[in-house]
Amino acid sequence: MSKLNNCQEQPKIGVYVCHCGGNISDHVDVAKVVEQAGGLDNVTVARDNSFMCSDPGQELIIEDIKSGKVNRIVVASCAPALHESTFRGAIARAGMNPYLYEHANIREQVSWVHHGPGATDKATALVAAAVGKAGELEALEPIRVEAEAHATVLGGGVAGMSAARDLAAQGLKVALVEKSPFLGGQVAQLDKTFPSNEAAGELLSALAAQVLADQRITVYTCAELSEYSGYVGSFKLKIRRTPPSGEDLERLALAKDAAPGEFVPFVGVAAWPVPYEAEEVALVSGAIVLATGFEHYTPPMGEYGYGQMPEVITLPELIRLMADESATGEQLVVNGKPVGSLALIHCVGSRQIPGVHQPGPDGKLNQHCSRVCCTATLQAACELREKFPETNVFELYRDIRTYGRGHEEYYLNAGRSGVIFARFEPEAPPVVTQGGEDSALTVTVLDKLLAGEELAIGVDLVVLAVGMEPRDNQSLVEKMKLPVGADRFLLEVHPKLRPVELPAAGIYLAGACQAPMDTSEAANAAGAAAAKAGAILSAGFVELDPFVAEVDESKCVGSGACVQACLADEAIEMIDTQVGKRARVNPALCMGCGVCVAACEQGAIELSGWTLGQYEAMVDAIVAQALPQGA
Amino acid sequence: MPNGDTQKFDSLVLGGGIAGLAAALDLADAGYRVAVVERDATIGGKMIRLSKVFPTLDCASCITTPKMAAAAHHPNVTLFTMCRLEGAQRKDGKLRARVTQMPRYVDPAKCIGCRQCEYECPVMVPDQEQGGFTARKAIYIPFSNAIPQLALIDRDHCMMCGKCSAVCPTGAVDQLQTEREFVIEADTMVLATGFELMTDFPARAYGAPGLGDNVISSLQMERLLAPHGPYMRALRPGDGKEPESIAFIQCAGSRDLQLGKPYCSRVCCMYAIKQAMLLSGALPLADLTIYYMDIRAFGKNYEQFYNNAKAMGVEFVKAKPIIAGNNPDGSVVLRYEDQEGGSGAVSREHDLVVLSLAMLPAFAPEEIVPVSAATDGFLKVPQPKLAPTLTEMEGVFTCGAAAGPKDIVDSIAEAGAAALGAAKYLAAQRGGRAA
Repeated sequence: MSKLNNCQEQPKIGVYVCHCGGNISDHVDVAKVVEQAGGLDNVTVARDNSFMCSDPGQELIIEDIKSGKVNRIVVASCAPALHESTFRGAIARAGMNPYLYEHANIREQVSWVHHGPGATDKATALVAAAVGKAGELEALEPIRVEAEAHATVLGGGVAGMSAARDLAAQGLKVALVEKSPFLGGQVAQLDKTFPSNEAAGELLSALAAQVLADQRITVYTCAELSEYSGYVGSFKLKIRRTPPSGEDLERLALAKDAAPGEFVPFVGVAAWPVPYEAEEVALVSGAIVLATGFEHYTPPMGEYGYGQMPEVITLPELIRLMADESATGEQLVVNGKPVGSLALIHCVGSRQIPGVHQPGPDGKLNQHCSRVCCTATLQAACELREKFPETNVFELYRDIRTYGRGHEEYYLNAGRSGVIFARFEPEAPPVVTQGGEDSALTVTVLDKLLAGEELAIGVDLVVLAVGMEPRDNQSLVEKMKLPVGADRFLLEVHPKLRPVELPAAGIYLAGACQAPMDTSEAANAAGAAAAKAGAILSAGFVELDPFVAEVDESKCVGSGACVQACLADEAIEMIDTQVGKRARVNPALCMGCGVCVAACEQGAIELSGWTLGQYEAMVDAIVAQALPQGA
Repeated sequence: MPNGDTQKFDSLVLGGGIAGLAAALDLADAGYRVAVVERDATIGGKMIRLSKVFPTLDCASCITTPKMAAAAHHPNVTLFTMCRLEGAQRKDGKLRARVTQMPRYVDPAKCIGCRQCEYECPVMVPDQEQGGFTARKAIYIPFSNAIPQLALIDRDHCMMCGKCSAVCPTGAVDQLQTEREFVIEADTMVLATGFELMTDFPARAYGAPGLGDNVISSLQMERLLAPHGPYMRALRPGDGKEPESIAFIQCAGSRDLQLGKPYCSRVCCMYAIKQAMLLSGALPLADLTIYYMDIRAFGKNYEQFYNNAKAMGVEFVKAKPIIAGNNPDGSVVLRYEDQEGGSGAVSREHDLVVLSLAMLPAFAPEEIVPVSAATDGFLKVPQPKLAPTLTEMEGVFTCGAAAGPKDIVDSIAEAGAAALGAAKYLAAQRGGRAA
């Protein structure tokens, strides 16, 4: 990197304070912060701008560097997670080492949580600390690691298969790891997809054919990630394949005559052979795409009579019944009984409200909307009315969320075809009871469309539109230390800035493991993840931030205390040298946590970019701000 | 660059909004050379004009400006602003796009963005960047974080007084500039042409927003709430009164067969909730009411956001009101059917009414690009399930609101998928090698 190592010179620190368009300046007296910063040692420039991250804001920094006014930069703005890399990029563009930079967070840590003069005082102190540290900064070089032109995709549903196909198309080798013996995931449980009415089987067959035909993709079915270590560019993985058992055996029995690549309705795409004995495959992969999908909510015994009354079923069960070719004639027949009338209940296991709904076995509620069930339910209602015009269909809903392109048409068509809608409040859900005048069941609902009038509807079948839940990924989450949101889905870094990335570099999200999505959205997410993984692996190497431990071998006595303390596997090891055992850091594996720094009695380890001297300078600066003038 | 000049790139991205920028950056990061062609005088699209964004309440600028700056400085990205696509055809495998550079009447090579001309210009024009609530000059830079920071002259209002030319330190003003056509040659194209808000709705239902009758559009409300907005606080435009009661009418134009727009515009529920939340911070005593058909809080953490708004005291009324008139004090009379209370047709007054207007396509491909629009007017995607970004033209992809209303999160994810589609096409052209 051809950066000016002008840190050798006397520090000339530029301080740039952001208003964040009022986010900061509404509560912090930015002019005062700038004025105070201007009086600090080594500060040669102190400025403010309404948006430092904007182009004109970045230009202020670049101009000052180019004109020689500054050789170290402090920006006081939002959390570094948001824009530290933005400012480092601007500094690099100006030709300076991007690590001669310190960030003061005066938004999340100040203006969003403090008001009044105290906010300005705290902002001033944080800026002073950053200036103190900036004076001690040294130029650093990023760590460059080789990147393996190989990606591993976990999950063989639509998202996983799309991601695998798209990664391979960029010239990468791909391992596609699927837990079951089949490809296709939850889409295999569908009949027709909305809004194009394409058959799920055809979609999956086409996609699986591309995946299975691609020489660059290796499909591992009946497989799970058993070991995980390493880092972006070089993840060391073990994939364990085990002979199918339990439910998989039942599904295999249904598909025993299927040829490889053949779609078996409600089972999936056969991806033979299945393993006869356990085996383990070791892989080195540059990137990982998580496409582990979702599960349908299973209503607990008794929710709307589920499990107690055989006439209460879920939407996936209804879809299966309707797809049955024998389901023709005047009326739908369920359990040998004709269905003259049925009710579809929305938001079962979705949009749950604390204090209203019962938490699941893990004590958690599904507060999220499951996004796809409204359209899926209406699609089923339309199909019912078309196939069985004699069957009365009722939809009991909270809000109809046919948001997508072509989705609203199902709502319009359902209304036109005579589906009757009733709207309920979550606090007064429909009640399903056994028996009725001419029906198997009675559903009682307070209809908000009729000013809360009570309706008693005689029906022969109740269908529950069950929501989407995060899959139980506990072992994967622990193994890979994956972040999980309050909704229990995997959590991206930022929904807009980095929507398919995780904080650990080289790991990406695709599909419904992140949030409920329909097939199109999962395919888009998979494409976005494949684009990011492809871009990072295309160069053949990856650059990592150099904030890692560094051993001063002249001070190290080989006690091994650092190895004991280290939280990352193999990040620090003892090696034999001519003067005995000495510690050595693997920079690619070091997380930069600093535990070894604290453990070393000799003070032989420092963390680059966060040295003890830098910390002391920060503390000194904060203390100096806190003391009364002249004390 | 002379007239008729040809410039070569790997990919052309039409539209410099958040979707186009995200797609361009993904392609550029993968090593491909990208031309971003934008009709407006600045990149940033609709998003840069917003206040804060749901469901995180990040300021829109904080998310958009770094993407804009990244695109502006990326070595693989070239920005063409004030450029109109005239036509694009594939010939001998290459996509040839005819582009018209519209005149700024300011030489971009000379303008240093110092704004002296703007300060000197005597002409005041309603500033559409501020919802029309404040004025700008006839020579101006669109807004403080516009990219590029170049002035342009609004010739419909310029009176040719010459003051700008006289004050410009670099002699950049050029009243003789004309349209200039050039060609961009590329292998792939991404259509990220975004949306516009409906404006031609019948006045009998919603009045005419922004004409002093205290009925405004949702994008105007974004400006009222934005940092550096027209008043720097939330006031109603008709008379400058601090509104004590604000109503949002959802599905104004969307899901409306009478207006020919049967589709859901997908973002309005969430932005109305967001605007109500921001208003409850700016005007803690104001009554906030959202009139809705269905609340469609379907995205990640959206339902939780909606529940927060309810807990903050925002009132949700299931109704589709019409605007019945104005009172002498400027308040707006709404009339609607009280479905939940069963009181029949009722009237209610609000100091300010915001119309959550339908999203319409901003680009009609006819006679420009050989792809077609679907019945909703947005671009047709022949494989909506497995390849939602693919268009009918080889090597041409789409993302964001160009292919149907979409929020920012979904647009950015789709931009990634469109970039991937283009990258795959390019790799296949080059025999399976990445850039």
